[in-house]
Amino acid sequence: MLSRLTYTLRETWASFQRNVTLTAAAIITAAVSLLIFGLTLLIQHGFDNLLKRWEGGVEMLVFVVPQAEQDTIDYVAGVLDQQRGTAIERYEYCDVQCSLDEARVVLAGDPTTLNLLNENNIPTLFKVVPTEAAEVDVLRGLRDTYASLPQVETVVLAEDQIDLIARLQGFVSTYTTGLWIALMFASGLLIWNTIRTAMFARRREIEVMKLVGATDWFIRIPFMLEGLIQGLLGGVIAVGSLQFINWRWTQGVQDFPESSGMTALVVTDGYNWTVSFFILAFGALVGMIGSGIAASKFLDV
Amino acid sequence: MIRLENVTKNYSAEVVALNDASFDIAKGEFVFLVGPSGSGKSTLLRLLNRQERPQRGAVWVAGRNIIDMPPSRVPHLRRNIGNIFQDYKLLLNKTVFENVAFAQEVIGKPKHVIRQQVPAVLDLVGLAGKEERFPHQLSGGEQQRVSVARAFVNRPLILLADEPTGNLDPGTGEGIMRLLDRINKTGTTVVMATHDQRIVNTMRKRVIQLDRGVIVRDQARGVYE
Repeated sequence: MLSRLTYTLRETWASFQRNVTLTAAAIITAAVSLLIFGLTLLIQHGFDNLLKRWEGGVEMLVFVVPQAEQDTIDYVAGVLDQQRGTAIERYEYCDVQCSLDEARVVLAGDPTTLNLLNENNIPTLFKVVPTEAAEVDVLRGLRDTYASLPQVETVVLAEDQIDLIARLQGFVSTYTTGLWIALMFASGLLIWNTIRTAMFARRREIEVMKLVGATDWFIRIPFMLEGLIQGLLGGVIAVGSLQFINWRWTQGVQDFPESSGMTALVVTDGYNWTVSFFILAFGALVGMIGSGIAASKFLDV
Repeated sequence: MIRLENVTKNYSAEVVALNDASFDIAKGEFVFLVGPSGSGKSTLLRLLNRQERPQRGAVWVAGRNIIDMPPSRVPHLRRNIGNIFQDYKLLLNKTVFENVAFAQEVIGKPKHVIRQQVPAVLDLVGLAGKEERFPHQLSGGEQQRVSVARAFVNRPLILLADEPTGNLDPGTGEGIMRLLDRINKTGTTVVMATHDQRIVNTMRKRVIQLDRGVIVRDQARGVYE
């Protein structure tokens, strides 16, 4: 068992040295495609943060002053209830805890402001979903109505900016997803080609191995391991780059004004580590599948 | 040990490598396959280690019809068969020791067994002291001895030799034949394809003659003709 393991590792290392340029090309392509894969997921997550308050068709946020009495909240809810079925389809009240949770997401890139918020000064809010028929003019009318209610601090409409962000999210997601799939396919093919070249270079060795009774798996495994390592190394480079880019972006966002709305477009909740795990797993998988197919297809050299 | 029953092997409609060939080879026999180029000698050897499969007939090796043997069992069959080639098929980046050890390494023999058996077999073939040399540092005869050592190191039941003296001068070829004869005397069945008239006539072993895929002669203690 130990001698087989030694043999496998030795042959994998020898093959790496034999195909340095092709191996480097495969690793770099894998790294670039995995990086784009990771960035796509992070950007998607950033957009989700940005749009968190507007999920589920919410078009209007009615902020109630901090520490509002329950009577006040019931009163605002009563006004909203009156218009349910006509201008309003439904609404949801976000209490102090809910508002603090959301602030952690929305202000993730602005820790200074976030640290100033607490249970005593955070405004709670109603998330309002208008009926499909509600038009911009109607919504603006409702905003003015709700803004004049007692204890209502402010009313914010989604309007065009949110629609633009949602459209941008769709655009970025679609094209970056297409890009990483294409690049991943390319890196799979490159790994496949590297293994094919390695097997061709060792065709006499493989012939001898087969003639003396080595099993196909015994011959295949060093090649598959080589592909797996290529994918994994690509993944390691991609993870390093992703963490660096994420760190630089998060640092940079702190300098943006709060009104820019970009403070939510960061990933600080550990999701970047989940993505890193997926990158490594995905890189290893693509490397192993690419090399496995090549090692099986070209075994009869 | 080996039995062919009405074996036919075609590479295409026009190219018939073997046509209804049948024979038996007992354990410990030494058999020469003779005949002109393209008569089917190499194909016959390739059928015996399952590098090829016939269109018709049965090939029995060590009591088992290897034609319907599942692919996963083929490596185990080959561990009982040693192969020697005209072009030696040595690995040029490995030393003499490593070339021979390779045959044991790839079937999972432990290191201590390899360290014990490889020097012994190199001693048997007359290459003691040349373990660290690379193939390009050896003569043709020495390279073929390494090939014989590699084929014999796992103590196979059968040794298949395809023109093992084809690239060697007569004197060196005789040395290889003495070696194969010695191996045969240990009980290993040897099947050797050759064009070398002198060797066949000197050894006076069983001769199976092929002509365009047909066995035209099977003679005990035969000569080349």
